[in-house]
Amino acid sequence: MIGLKSTLNVIDNSGALLVECVNILKQKVNNGWGGVGDEIVCVVKRARPVSAAAQNSVTAVKVRKGDVRRAVIVRTRKSIQRPDGRIIRFDDNAAVLLNNKREMLGTRIGGVVSADLRMKGWGKIVSLAPKTYPELRLNA
Amino acid sequence: MQKVEIDSFSGYRIYPSKGKLFVRGDSKVFRFASSKNASLFLQRKNPRKIAWTQLYRRMHKKGITEEVAKKRSRRTIKHQRGIVGADLATIAARRNQTAAERQKQRLAAISKAKSEKKEKEAKKAKPATRPSAPTGPKVSKQQMKGGKGGR
Repeated sequence: MIGLKSTLNVIDNSGALLVECVNILKQKVNNGWGGVGDEIVCVVKRARPVSAAAQNSVTAVKVRKGDVRRAVIVRTRKSIQRPDGRIIRFDDNAAVLLNNKREMLGTRIGGVVSADLRMKGWGKIVSLAPKTYPELRLNA
Repeated sequence: MQKVEIDSFSGYRIYPSKGKLFVRGDSKVFRFASSKNASLFLQRKNPRKIAWTQLYRRMHKKGITEEVAKKRSRRTIKHQRGIVGADLATIAARRNQTAAERQKQRLAAISKAKSEKKEKEAKKAKPATRPSAPTGPKVSKQQMKGGKGGR
């Protein structure tokens, strides 16, 4: 349940640490609340200080406090029920920053993500994450 | 296939489609069979101090006393039976003998053996005296056999 003014931890290496949600991108039925796999517009509230060397390089992504970015929600405190009946809940709200082409801004993810992301078309985030819950059971 | 999970607070079993999974900030996973368990966990209660949890029951040895008592009552029982070369009847007969009887038997056996020996020597002596029994060098019987006493 992410809405206006919700704050989320950022778990990628884009440089942002904490973001505040300012808008949930509409889907068919989200009624103004965002869950795992939903895209949001957010303001960077806290970011890692950018070093001088990083500032000079052209390729480096610069995320600063006050930036408005898109992000995708990867963990929610609100429990979600999966199709197999399991109910899963995390300790915090977390997001991963995106650019305008819906690609990840960072290159790494440090933290658990919900496996629901794969169902919602964020397979790349799931594959980058060190762990997912509930665990993916590959057909083997 | 989902398997049956164990509640991380109470130790209860969680069947598929039941219970809740909680992922803590340090990505540790906790499973709860019911909201009661989840609530107590989130209140940071110690399951060792709550009487109905499996942890408490195991700690205080609840519900397993009968099994232990049963195990202890089993004891080794002495039993007599025959062994190879001596069945139960002969063993029993030996045991029930009195000392006097045994002594008598022993004496009888000794006297019998002695008489037999005498008879043997008497038989031997007749043919042995004529050849060189006294003249030949003294050789022990064992030496003649090539036994171990000959060295």
